[in-house]
Amino acid sequence: MSSLAETKTGQHYIDALRQRFPSTVLQEEWQTRDQVTVTVKLNSLPEVVEWLYYNQGGWISVLFGNDERSIHGNFAVYYVLSMEAGTKCYVVIRAEVDARTGEFPSVTPKVPACVWGEREIRDMYGLRPVGLPDERRLVLPDDWPDNLHPLRKDTMDYRVRPEPTSDTENYKFVNDASGETREIPLGPLHITSDEPGHFRLFVDGEDIIDADYRMFYVHRGMEKAAETRMGYDEVTFLADRVCGICGFAHSVAYATSVENALGIVVPDRAQLIRSVMLEVERLHSHLLNIGLACHFVGFDTGFMQFFRVREKSMTLAELLTGARKTYGINLIGGVRRDIQKAERDATLKLLGELKKEVAELVDMLLDTPNLAQRTSGIGRLDPKVARDYSPVGPNVRASGIARDTRADHAPTGYKLFQLPVRTKDSCDVLGRVLIRVEEFFDSIHFIEQALANMPVGPLLVEGFKYTPHKFGLGFVEAPRGEDIHWSMLGDNQKLFRWRARASTYANWPPLRYMLRGNTISDAPLIVASIDPCYSCTDRVTMVDIRKGKSVTVPYQEIERYGRERKNSPLK
Amino acid sequence: MLKLFKTILKTGDATLKYPFAPAPVCDNFRGKPEYTPEQCIACGACAVACPPNAITMKARPEAGTHTWELFLGNCIFCGRCEEVCPTKAIVLSKEFELAVGNKADLYQNATFRIANCACCGKPFAPQKAVEYAIDVLKQTGANAQVVEERRKLLETCSDCKRKQSIHAGEMIELRRYLDEGKDA
Repeated sequence: MSSLAETKTGQHYIDALRQRFPSTVLQEEWQTRDQVTVTVKLNSLPEVVEWLYYNQGGWISVLFGNDERSIHGNFAVYYVLSMEAGTKCYVVIRAEVDARTGEFPSVTPKVPACVWGEREIRDMYGLRPVGLPDERRLVLPDDWPDNLHPLRKDTMDYRVRPEPTSDTENYKFVNDASGETREIPLGPLHITSDEPGHFRLFVDGEDIIDADYRMFYVHRGMEKAAETRMGYDEVTFLADRVCGICGFAHSVAYATSVENALGIVVPDRAQLIRSVMLEVERLHSHLLNIGLACHFVGFDTGFMQFFRVREKSMTLAELLTGARKTYGINLIGGVRRDIQKAERDATLKLLGELKKEVAELVDMLLDTPNLAQRTSGIGRLDPKVARDYSPVGPNVRASGIARDTRADHAPTGYKLFQLPVRTKDSCDVLGRVLIRVEEFFDSIHFIEQALANMPVGPLLVEGFKYTPHKFGLGFVEAPRGEDIHWSMLGDNQKLFRWRARASTYANWPPLRYMLRGNTISDAPLIVASIDPCYSCTDRVTMVDIRKGKSVTVPYQEIERYGRERKNSPLK
Repeated sequence: MLKLFKTILKTGDATLKYPFAPAPVCDNFRGKPEYTPEQCIACGACAVACPPNAITMKARPEAGTHTWELFLGNCIFCGRCEEVCPTKAIVLSKEFELAVGNKADLYQNATFRIANCACCGKPFAPQKAVEYAIDVLKQTGANAQVVEERRKLLETCSDCKRKQSIHAGEMIELRRYLDEGKDA
């Protein structure tokens, strides 16, 4: 512990916090040299978080509750702030919530980025954020019983499915428009990707005045399943399945969180293999999104070509891990598979082909007049909105904000080779596409460099000690932005609490502001530009409020209209 | 535009003839686990390691059997079983065509006999695991006499072993703690 004390990064944040808010800090606990958890008095929680967020350059990474009644009698809420101005580190603000009152002051009025997290704490633990402006459910479905809070330790078994309490959806969509608008629901079910959503666009003619959406139709209860059903060392394989695109990123984030909690130092070679695989994952994910961008602007030939070339990056994953997706090579303490010489040579050959072919395709895409015409100035994410909502990945980087976990917190093998942080100031869909293109080539460069300079050594740490109730954060930059996991170990070789936050979770809340002021035909393009775990909706119902009649149009129709912009289905 | 047509022409057909021609996979591809019951000693290491509980061990002491079962429907092809198997009885193959018309075809099982303790007569370990231990002992070059002496030990359950070692060592004090532990 003495070596930890000497190299602490970010101590001055805590000192300044103690000075600014005297006698507020109750406890200070360091998990790693740049990760600290500070317990503060419950009533000063909003001020402390606000001060760290706006005055000290913090960003909300994730917030969550924890049922710690079995440990000290109270619930706890955790607000994880990624400090990115000057000294970079993670500061976790923790406050204990009385189990009898179950109330804590909401931070959302001061820091809007907390809105989803606090709504989720309300659903999952039944704790009431006092002053939260939006008290609708977030995660639980409309027909879920009122007093059943799934993540409380004493409520329910993870296999229980309660009887639905209502037959109709009663979720209220919010519309901030001042005048009269038409309402266009997109969704809710049967989405090609893994996260279906229900969009409600409020339009005046062709213009989107406001938008609201509901997610979590396929909430799988993974956190509960991991806490009750699986051993902590098996959860890496479950984390691989959090997402169909960036699963490996989650697996690394989870493994890192436990390693940080237990103080395990992963060997360099294992760390670099993890980074190489993360970049391989980025290759295929970015190609997928660039392909989709082609599709949504009506350049379908480009879509086909990008998807053809993408197959090479899938082969790369199969070659290096034994599976195209769900790589399954992570264990707590390292990786299970080495990269041999034959595999390295084959990888370098494939990378060379990819680089050449993608460069040609990108040239072609950028030469297509349609692209700039359809994407430039569309779906603007205002830097001010971005600052308030803490979005991540290419989404925030296209608004001129250089947030990249790989550079800010250098997880896993990124300490060894630096990657440039790509930003654009255009704030639009085009900027996000261009950032992905640049990052694609950076990733190829990174893999080549890493393979040429792979450190020698073991792949796995064995014989570490499992210590109950230790906790820590794990984080990686997934293709769509920061994935962050928080794990607390139990006393039974299981997890006490696992919080996994996918990058898209941070990108949904500001989407509403990105949709405003654009036309309906741009909506699919804007939604696709954050590269969500959602890409397509089943059908569209349009409600004409003025005439009081509704029309149902198949989704293909609105997608076709998005591409061709002829024969509006609204007429 | 011309470049695009050129690329399309140059690429030709991108599709594979699959399923009319085999689709090759990389070496070390993690496909369907192949199980060889003859190699298996029913130690159960794979069942402990399996994250989705696709591999299970069911002991039926009254019948004196131990059943190993793999349900492919649960398998995630991670290969942990292969990693922990001491006898290479389970290995991941390159096979990925797993669709079946009948759910029962996704199950695979093997039943093993349980050995009874030479001392108290209670079933305690798979017969093959005991034999494996004796074989390993022989392999180390131990002479026949040593093997026979150890055989008794290996065929005794851990409870009996503990009691015997306490009697033999005349460690009366220890025995007291053992009994106290039981009461608590």
